[in-house]
Amino acid sequence: MRRTIPLVITFLIGLYPIFAFFVPHGSISGANDWLDSALVIVAAFALPLGTVNVVMTNTTKLKRKSRGWQYSIVLLAGLTVMAFYGLVGGTGVHPSFQWMFVNMVSPLQATMFALLSFYVASAAYRAFRARNVEATILLIAAIIVMMGRIPFGDMMTRGMMTPLSEWIMSIPNAAAQRGIIIGAALGAASMSIRIILGIETTYLGTGKD
Amino acid sequence: MKTPLLFILAAAAVVLASQAPAPAVLAGEIQGLRAFDSPGDGGESVTLEWEGGPSTLVSIMRSESSGGPFEEVGTTIGTDGAYEDYVEEGRPYYYRLSYRIGDQDYVTAPVGPVAARSNWFRSYRLNALVLAVLMFSLVIYYINAAKRGKDLYIRRISGISAIDEAVGRATEMGKKIIYIPGIMSISDIQTIASLSILSHVAKQTAVYGADIEVPNKDPLTFTAARETVKQAYMEAGRPDQFREDMVTYITYDQFAYAAAVSGKMVRERPATNFLIGYFFAESLILAETGQSTGAIQIAGTAAPTQLPFFVTTCDYTLMGEELYAASAYLSKEPILLGSIKAQDIAKALIIVTILVGIVAYFFGSTVIRNLLASR
Amino acid sequence: MNARKLLYVDRRVIYLLVAIGALVPIIRPIGLPTVPTKPVQQLFNKIESLGPDDTVIISFDYGPSSEPELNPMAQSILRHCFQRRVKVLVMALFPLGGVNMAIDQLQAVADEFDDINYGVDFVNLGYKDGAQAAMKRMDISIESLFPADVNGDPTKDMPIMAHARNYDDIAVVISLATGIIGEYWVNLVNAQFGVPVAVGCTAVSAPKYYAYLRAGQMMSLLGGLKGGSEYEKLLVDKYEFARELYEQPEIKITSAMAGMDVQSIVHVIIIVFIIFGNTMYFIMKRQEKAR
Repeated sequence: MRRTIPLVITFLIGLYPIFAFFVPHGSISGANDWLDSALVIVAAFALPLGTVNVVMTNTTKLKRKSRGWQYSIVLLAGLTVMAFYGLVGGTGVHPSFQWMFVNMVSPLQATMFALLSFYVASAAYRAFRARNVEATILLIAAIIVMMGRIPFGDMMTRGMMTPLSEWIMSIPNAAAQRGIIIGAALGAASMSIRIILGIETTYLGTGKD
Repeated sequence: MKTPLLFILAAAAVVLASQAPAPAVLAGEIQGLRAFDSPGDGGESVTLEWEGGPSTLVSIMRSESSGGPFEEVGTTIGTDGAYEDYVEEGRPYYYRLSYRIGDQDYVTAPVGPVAARSNWFRSYRLNALVLAVLMFSLVIYYINAAKRGKDLYIRRISGISAIDEAVGRATEMGKKIIYIPGIMSISDIQTIASLSILSHVAKQTAVYGADIEVPNKDPLTFTAARETVKQAYMEAGRPDQFREDMVTYITYDQFAYAAAVSGKMVRERPATNFLIGYFFAESLILAETGQSTGAIQIAGTAAPTQLPFFVTTCDYTLMGEELYAASAYLSKEPILLGSIKAQDIAKALIIVTILVGIVAYFFGSTVIRNLLASR
Repeated sequence: MNARKLLYVDRRVIYLLVAIGALVPIIRPIGLPTVPTKPVQQLFNKIESLGPDDTVIISFDYGPSSEPELNPMAQSILRHCFQRRVKVLVMALFPLGGVNMAIDQLQAVADEFDDINYGVDFVNLGYKDGAQAAMKRMDISIESLFPADVNGDPTKDMPIMAHARNYDDIAVVISLATGIIGEYWVNLVNAQFGVPVAVGCTAVSAPKYYAYLRAGQMMSLLGGLKGGSEYEKLLVDKYEFARELYEQPEIKITSAMAGMDVQSIVHVIIIVFIIFGNTMYFIMKRQEKAR
């Protein structure tokens, strides 16, 4: 029973949106909209579970003085203060919350995103080696695209780099992307059918593997 | 005598009238206005169609009675020849169009009544229905073939073969394994595929006695991942080794999550990192940090933009459909392998259709293109 | 010369040079020229063809992490729309800060125009959860999805809403997106409802959108700072007010055109490193062969 009931629910709920995709009748689409809303509500209920886990994991770490326990203090303090002002603000935004968002959360996020430029540089340095013909083609294409994205490229080649780079992006790149998207979409469809039909259950942790 | 004469005169008049030129249609004049329930919708709209029409704006006038009053509900360019009006389901309406050619105002005769009705089939999605039925049929056919014992060849995927090796390495080194199931919710199919692989990895760690940690960004994925790992330890016969802190929740924020997991990688220096699921810009931050700590890394995603980053920084990458095939491949169950075979056949059919479409288009036929048009 | 040692250079050396390359043009701007590309030109031309009777949706589908890349294009597109007196519906479907981005950018740009009125020429509809469900709903009625604006005021009394009943009234949707929401606009709103969609995205996610652009499912693509700088360039070339505006130091420093200086230098550093790495690689191979 523990295994059958979830599979029956999965079958019915999984098939319904497919049915609703083809049947526009109000009696069908209404329930489909309800399913969309239900997902949001379920996610909202799961969030406190996550928060409780964060608090428990970090308080345990503090109690045991595990490695890196100092970071747990920062985390718990941040969580408490932001949650407090978030709740005090009600449906609006409390000025202290907005201040922390603008002056702390926002620059920290931008910093993390900015790290990408450093990581892209070091990853590109390692990856682009002319080891064989394919790697050399990749290397040349990468340099053309990078040059095509900056004014220097056009200045050095009398405006040839931008169109060349656009060509690489919109023809070979788009073709490869489509190939991956089609393959992945088929894979997703096949996996979905396996889940709907109850053949694939490993994600439930009840596979026979 | 008079009657035949009158008859002849009347007949002559008819003949003359029929030979007389028809009243000229003014350039831009609207002809043949018709209103009907929009096909294949949920009873939301009425469609108007007409011939001709000026290249200027036409007012769409609507009323609930044929005598009016009509009020403007929208405008469109006359030459468009069609307009979709959103209305209340089941209520009858009358329409007429009002427009201007030069200095002269024109109003068409009203048409109607017409009411929007909920339909039972989106006819324009017939092609999608055919493809869906075909895909279902192929999967069921090949699953049955596999059940009957037909030998199905599936190519070797090195990234999947390396999973056990990576778990073994962590066991030998006595270091942790970090498994990142992407940052999307359980409603995303890539997350489900990732949890299937997590189930296998957790069983291996349970068997070998290696330590695993699954940090999560999404709360729903977190609860599902915890169940998956717990169940895997039970099935491996080591429920006592499962700890609640093996699966943790970090935060809902993408970059705060990336910062926390990167910090964990730098401090704890895991032997193996799995990055499998749906990733966005944090993929490179996580994978490059893992690479810098010397961990063996196995990645898997169907997100095309993140694949280059994983290929550059990870030892093995499951690309696109390989991610979805992994759970079937790992389980070695014939019925699961059957569905992968079906997927391959569908892919071959798509390739053939694309080629036929290209050839047909080259010869001026848009039949294939129109057949595949989606809405 | 030990080519192997040079080849496996400490990654912190690369980080340091990238940091210097990013800082110098901020302190001392170079002002490199920008050449607009066709995908960007298409959105500019589309807005140029619109007027006071037309309505566009600008959806802020990004958070603070993408702010430096996407804010400049948000500002230049808003400026263009307001200059053309095109009606603008602003909304946010991205949960983590999308609405904050919308509030900030609207405030920054709307104040520059004297005769632009809230509720008449533009409105901020705020954040709505459930991206795809929200997009589907707008095909029936935008007002029913957003009965109140970001300030909680009812939208039904706002004159702009008469020009924005559903997608039929929308000339173009512009999604400034990070993550997957831009794809939803393309896959759902363009594919199912036929509304022209343009996406402004971070440079890192631009490649995936080219497939949609080529397939005609998107009418325009603005990729990262480059896309933003091209839009600014088109605006500056066409309008005197924009030329003066982008000369003001506080606007100039945060513009995409200024950001392109940084991107250019960093790209050159990466290219130099790639060439250096390959040179060392070949020297190392030759040295090993000689041994």
